Amino acid sequence: MKSPSYQRRLLAVVLPALLLLASLPARAADTLYLYNWNNYISEDTVQRFEAHCRCRLKQDYYSDNEEMLAKLEAGAVGYDVLVPTGNAVESLVRRNALREIDRARLPNLRNIKREFLDTWFDPGNRYSVPYATSVTLIGFNANKMQELGLPTDSWALIFEPKHLKKIKGRVTVLNSQRELMAAAMRYLGHSVQEHDPARWEEAKQVILRAKPYWAAFSNSTYIKDLAIGTIWVAHGYSNDMWRAQQDAAAAKRPFAIGFATPKEGAVLAVDNFVLHKSGRRPDLAHQFIDFMLAGENAADVSNLIGAGNPNGAATPRILPEIAANPGIFPPPAELQRLEMLRDFDPKLRRTLSRMWTEIKVR
Amino acid sequence: MKKAQFWLWTASLATYAFLYIPLAVVVLFSFNDSVLNAEWVGFTTRWYVKLLHDDDMLHAAANSLLIALVSSSVSTVLGAMAGLAMHRYRPRWLPFLVLTPVAMPEILLGVSLLLFFRQVLDLSLGLFSILAAHITFSIGFVAVIVRARLAGMDESIFEAARDLGATPWATFHRVTLPLIMPALVAGFLMAFTLSIDDFVITFFVAGVGVNTLPLQIYSMIKVAVTPEVNAVSTLLMALTLTLILVASRFAPDVLKGRS
Amino acid sequence: MSEPRTQPSGLTKWVVTLPPTIFLLAFFLVPALIVVLAGFRETGEFGGLAPLPQLSLDAYRFLGGDVIYLEIFARSFLVAALTTLICIVLAYPLAWLIARSPKQRRDFLVLLVILPFASNFLVRIYAWIMLLGPVNLLYTPFAVIVGMVYAHLPFMVLPLYTNLEKHDPALLEAAQDLGANAWTRFWRVTFPLSLPGIFSGSALVFIPVLGMFAVPELLGGTGDILIGNLIKEQFLENRDWPLGSALSIMLTICVLLLAGLTAWGSKRGLHGTEAVT
Repeated sequence: MKSPSYQRRLLAVVLPALLLLASLPARAADTLYLYNWNNYISEDTVQRFEAHCRCRLKQDYYSDNEEMLAKLEAGAVGYDVLVPTGNAVESLVRRNALREIDRARLPNLRNIKREFLDTWFDPGNRYSVPYATSVTLIGFNANKMQELGLPTDSWALIFEPKHLKKIKGRVTVLNSQRELMAAAMRYLGHSVQEHDPARWEEAKQVILRAKPYWAAFSNSTYIKDLAIGTIWVAHGYSNDMWRAQQDAAAAKRPFAIGFATPKEGAVLAVDNFVLHKSGRRPDLAHQFIDFMLAGENAADVSNLIGAGNPNGAATPRILPEIAANPGIFPPPAELQRLEMLRDFDPKLRRTLSRMWTEIKVR
Repeated sequence: MKKAQFWLWTASLATYAFLYIPLAVVVLFSFNDSVLNAEWVGFTTRWYVKLLHDDDMLHAAANSLLIALVSSSVSTVLGAMAGLAMHRYRPRWLPFLVLTPVAMPEILLGVSLLLFFRQVLDLSLGLFSILAAHITFSIGFVAVIVRARLAGMDESIFEAARDLGATPWATFHRVTLPLIMPALVAGFLMAFTLSIDDFVITFFVAGVGVNTLPLQIYSMIKVAVTPEVNAVSTLLMALTLTLILVASRFAPDVLKGRS
Repeated sequence: MSEPRTQPSGLTKWVVTLPPTIFLLAFFLVPALIVVLAGFRETGEFGGLAPLPQLSLDAYRFLGGDVIYLEIFARSFLVAALTTLICIVLAYPLAWLIARSPKQRRDFLVLLVILPFASNFLVRIYAWIMLLGPVNLLYTPFAVIVGMVYAHLPFMVLPLYTNLEKHDPALLEAAQDLGANAWTRFWRVTFPLSLPGIFSGSALVFIPVLGMFAVPELLGGTGDILIGNLIKEQFLENRDWPLGSALSIMLTICVLLLAGLTAWGSKRGLHGTEAVT
């Protein structure tokens, strides 16, 4: 009977595997779990923080607030810090999912510019601390746009068939119900905080008319697609466009990436640190937030990520060419045309989410 | 006839090329000295070095290995029981229970387990939920392999053992177990491969901080595609390749057992 | 094969039968029933499910309210059918070649089919992102089909090969002696005999493709949403669990019908084979 040799051979497979497993680095006891936007904190900053706290910072990424909220609703437990946008903060607060911030542990909170404190989504900043801002706008391949004579300062570029005809299959839009519908609303001249379903219905029609010309719904891959040159126009976040611009330049691509806020207005996002109730390390979480509020660290999110900055102590450290970029730091006149998203009541939310399902399938 | 032979070879070689060229490109571009990885720039091994220092990736790999080892061990035991039971006692409900999870599109199992862990157990997702899910879909594969092995066997051996006065346990230990051992090894290796490869179901039931390798690769593909993805893919290929070769040495029929 | 005579020892029976049964009841059947129930519930205020007493047909009403969902199912079936067909066309020559090869070469050729599957499923999709991006075929229906075929091809080759290997060459010789040309021999002898292999291969390809979401998500464009994507989105983006559950149930029904059909088909096919051999 061959069996003993089989048993021995089985052992020969399993044992080394077990040994390999045992030899892998043990999980660090001090780990901070951060659920963050992709491309929203630089490697440098992370390393400096890990050295500072002698702990590990472990990140998971999302590329849409809805995705983050859905994941939490589906039972994700144990994230210490999240980085929701204003409207998602509102929703999380209402859900009673957040831990109150202990201001005594955040001496650097004073660095935040006053206009970013005490906002509508969190009066008195009981739960949230602003981290960075971005504008949802249009990024484009500047050479192609010039060649084709297309306007880059209007939502018409992604919604008007007469423009889209020239760039069919070369456009991506965000795979985000709130952001894409908001863009269509601005294009129609409506507010993104509109409550009338009929107006949203109009936005849906605009989207459905343009959809056949788009290549894909994409929340993150457009950074690479723009830099490589397979996609010429993308609806997305200013910091991602900045990244695509840098990547294309670094790889010496034969074209340049540009981005601009459409003249019809756009969505401004203020993204904030909040503490999730299920987090096991509020101590590390506070330490992290205070670290990120220090001027030299806060400046990284502008200098290395290309995001707007609510931190006053960071302002003098921000590179002049970034501070002067209107897509990253909107000038006062442009700020007038920017709106923030708001959380809706369940009924409207459901109506919109079903409109979105329809948009995706039609 | 010559002409038919020629076309048969041409078509087959074309299909083999279709199977291998994409993977060759992945491997080749893991040595590409370009962050964008859009065209060939130059040779480097720096992505492999980077991989060795990527803590997230190493943890994901450790998780994947741990999950694969535990889940394939448990499912080998449960699957062997199910295979034995199906062969010997033929309960009507068992084949349905064992085989349906294998036959269903994975997303359905993922969705139902997500709802189950959330609504019924009110359990936070994590290692346990992933293990339970992997065991659920692996049992069927092991059971099928074990049953196939038993079906090809002469029942009189077991009767002889009983006639000689062996207790059920002794019969199992001395006769049945050695006989089905190749099937167990094959089943174990198959369950291991399935577990380490699984993306869809894990995607639904994975919790915070318990990333597996496929999940890590998925988030890399979606977010920042550097040649590091190619490097980790190449290494993973090497690993599963070894496993398959081992499996095919142990029990050549395992390859057919899947179908 | 002799029918196993079960010498009672009821205890052994339960020791062997119960553990897997209990495990699968707990982690397969109960969760499946929960999905059925969830399809009749309402969305909670923050997503998830509303408290239990409320039951409604709302999710099904929404699905029934628009033919578009029917179209998505139709599209998914079309993609699955096309994938299966292409797999058959690609797999047949290969399986035949392997089955006709000298015995010592066969295992090696089979291994060559399986080896690409030593790579992770996502890696296989990623490979096509790399290949199709530069030629502007990424984000197209073509990319989706290529990805689907690539991910499932061996599931067609293996059962087909297993079937073709068993064919008796004497049959083909007899046909030749009776004056049938190669073409006729294939269509009148080999092909009908290989139907069971085609059937089981088709089931192994068609059903997984039906629920696949990763391929359309990573390779497809705005028009390539399939049932799988729709289901995934309800749970992991839209927070509309009842709708997601209702869609899952409809997919399950489709799959069960299909599985029943193939079981019936291959049984018939098998009888056919027995009659000939």
